Amino acid sequence: MSALKAYVSAVEFLRRAGWLESAAIAGVLIVTLIAVFARWLTPFAPDLRVAEPYLAPSVMHWFGTDEIGRDLFSRIVLGIQYTWLPGLAIVVFSFAIGGFIGLIAGAMGGRIDLAIERTVDLFVVLPATLIALAMVVALGPGLANAMIAIIVFWWPVYARICRGEIRRLSALPHVEAARISGVRGPRLLLRYLLPGAMPALLVTATLDIANVIMTLSAMSFLGLGQPAPAPELGAMTARALESLTVYWWLPILPAAVIFLVCLLANLAGDGLRAALRGA
Amino acid sequence: MTEPVLAIKNFSVVLIREGRAFRVLDEIGFSVAPGEIVALVGESGSGKSTIGLALQGLLPQDSRPRVTGSIRIAGTELVGAPGQVLRMARRRLIRAISQDPMGALNPTMTIRRQLRESTGADDQVIEEWLRRTGLRDPARIAGSLPHRLSGGQCQRVLIAMSMMARPKLLIADEPTTALDITTQAQFLYLLRNLARAQQTAVLFVTHDLNFAVSLADRMLVLYAGRIVEIGAVADVAGNPAHPYTAGLLAARFDFDSDRARPLPTLPERHGDADAGHGCAFAPRCTMARADCRAIRPPLRSAPVHPGAVACLHAEELPLHTKQRSVAEPWPVRAIAGAAVALQLSGVSKSFVSGRQLLWGRHRSAQVLRSIDLTIKLGECVALVGESGAGKTTILRMAAGLLLPDSGTVFRIDVVPPQLVYQDPVSALTPWLSIGEQVGERLRVFRIDPDMHRRLVGEALELVGLDRRVMHALPRELSVGQCQRAVIARAVVVPPKVLLCDEPLSALDVSLAATTLNLLGDIRRRLGMAMLFVTHDLAAARIVADRVAVLQSGELVEDGDPDTLIMAPKAAYTRSLIAAMPRLHGGNRRLAACRP
Repeated sequence: MSALKAYVSAVEFLRRAGWLESAAIAGVLIVTLIAVFARWLTPFAPDLRVAEPYLAPSVMHWFGTDEIGRDLFSRIVLGIQYTWLPGLAIVVFSFAIGGFIGLIAGAMGGRIDLAIERTVDLFVVLPATLIALAMVVALGPGLANAMIAIIVFWWPVYARICRGEIRRLSALPHVEAARISGVRGPRLLLRYLLPGAMPALLVTATLDIANVIMTLSAMSFLGLGQPAPAPELGAMTARALESLTVYWWLPILPAAVIFLVCLLANLAGDGLRAALRGA
Repeated sequence: MTEPVLAIKNFSVVLIREGRAFRVLDEIGFSVAPGEIVALVGESGSGKSTIGLALQGLLPQDSRPRVTGSIRIAGTELVGAPGQVLRMARRRLIRAISQDPMGALNPTMTIRRQLRESTGADDQVIEEWLRRTGLRDPARIAGSLPHRLSGGQCQRVLIAMSMMARPKLLIADEPTTALDITTQAQFLYLLRNLARAQQTAVLFVTHDLNFAVSLADRMLVLYAGRIVEIGAVADVAGNPAHPYTAGLLAARFDFDSDRARPLPTLPERHGDADAGHGCAFAPRCTMARADCRAIRPPLRSAPVHPGAVACLHAEELPLHTKQRSVAEPWPVRAIAGAAVALQLSGVSKSFVSGRQLLWGRHRSAQVLRSIDLTIKLGECVALVGESGAGKTTILRMAAGLLLPDSGTVFRIDVVPPQLVYQDPVSALTPWLSIGEQVGERLRVFRIDPDMHRRLVGEALELVGLDRRVMHALPRELSVGQCQRAVIARAVVVPPKVLLCDEPLSALDVSLAATTLNLLGDIRRRLGMAMLFVTHDLAAARIVADRVAVLQSGELVEDGDPDTLIMAPKAAYTRSLIAAMPRLHGGNRRLAACRP
């Protein structure tokens, strides 16, 4: 019975989201798996010289080799880990922090709401990327610092969306009915309000992963992300840029993977939005 | 016989919803003569609006409509016609007025520009037309943006816009839902006069039989996408040949209905099962036989009037209706000596309006002016008034959701009174089970889970739902079941006061009667006081022991429903009564309230 129910809801989801978007959602999950198990998936040791430098893509080395002779395919597989997992972590943290603060603002109203809203405004009007860059320079380059700098400027978006959704839901008859029934406090927030705000937040989050990855890559590109030997995709593109005309695969292939991953995340976000719209 | 403006033959529409194909219209065929007004009547989901949409080529493309059959407008075939022909027909031959007049006008363009764009007429003609629709000061209206106009004025502008194009056919889809009762009657009067003067045929889509009778020449009753009865309004309304029509008519209440006992109703519909080969109405029909489920009844000439009916056993209907037992009258209870359950004394309320800037004065609009209203235990008071009269404000104050500026609100019990909402579907949280929502008010008692479940089940059974419904989500329920669940939530812990906010306005004829019966039954059984807010004086008369009429924030009259309707004291009450359409008053009533 429950298996049948699960099957029906899966079919329902596919139909609402569309096949391309559903495939993208599956793709996002696969990318996450690749990122987690990257160490075991590389055909060659990604940090060692395994062949002649500057070999063009071939059957042996699918994506060719780099200036030291490291296998580019292995480095990109590992690069997915170095790019995707921090991106995901940034979105999850921003989601949690922003969602929580937005929930408080929306539910409390009054002065607390006003104070939070003005703080959010402050963050939104600042040129986020620029100041995040400045922050990393001040803290010193490195993955952890880059992530902190991005989260600091990323959560307000979630706070604002969550607050707006909570305000909207609070005015709906069914929430008012719950209030009249004596539901209040955490129960009202968690059972009646938060589930209603979830679709908007989830959709924003999936669409945001691409943005975060781009920002992270941009930082690495500028040399503010992970230090040199780390196979971060943005940094790999940056370092190999001068050899674009001679050894095209070195900058193009990592960039293409960034592009693909962002595209998948965006499509998945679209699919999720379509699927959750009716729910 | 003149050539028909509209001739529809074997017309079917199949829409894909949720991945499944639904036959929304099933072999429809009828024709409309020039200047004739035909009412399309049916419950929501009967396909009545789909006919209008199909004529305008506005079927939802997302549902990949499959259209078969033939529609001819003034000799032009529309089904399968190239885009150019369709566009020409839409511009020259067909015009439509929608439910929501405000939404149909472009908020960024003046009325004059919109009329000019739609019809190409010059200013003088435009103003002349605006005057013809009964708008005073047409020059000012023409120069205004839509948000400056009231709903009634917008609807008049729209009818001018439609009629100026001298269309052959006007589609009016529930054009009065957004209007107040007094405006509704004037609007229908205007619509009929213009249609007659211009020989424009009108398709009037409505769920309200009273309006259909007062406006139209012929009536077409639809059920599940099929025509079940067609004929002159007087014939169909006076002498229905189909059990569905008879049921609808019986369920419809007006000033002549018997208020001492529950209203007759149709059995509720469960699910949208495809009728297949049988009669679509058979599952709800009290005289259905085995053959009704096997043979699709053809449309044939009706035995009791010159129209047509699709029922195998139409001959037996008169006999069947006679045998129908009349419900037991409501028990009579004395309320004179009962305790006061809810009392508003000298209550006033203003709302801040206009832009709130850092400087400058706030303008405030007074919504209520020293209201005095008392409801005793076991008594039901209906609060009647048009939109903006302050009905909802009173209700929300009674519920404790708003505080009065001055005056006091007294309630007999400390728990907030319970509310029954306008739209039952939006009053239920979509992601929580019915049982959880109904049981919410039991949580304060901290009873054990078995007891909790039993009480929820009992509340559901009290309102006529199966107790298994507690595991369902709201979207698995029909509108009628949702309404019952909302009422179950309100009475799971019986409140002393039950507040109802226009609980009928989102419901079909039969469902409205069912809801009135249910509320009447429950309040008597539990001895609750009830405040019933409505714009519908007929519903107020049926449900309430006392009717209070509210006009722009002031109570103008208060009294026994029948006395109030027979001998209204206030001029405003008189105009409300005159505007109410009546089933057996016919067109005369409409003529009586000309603007």
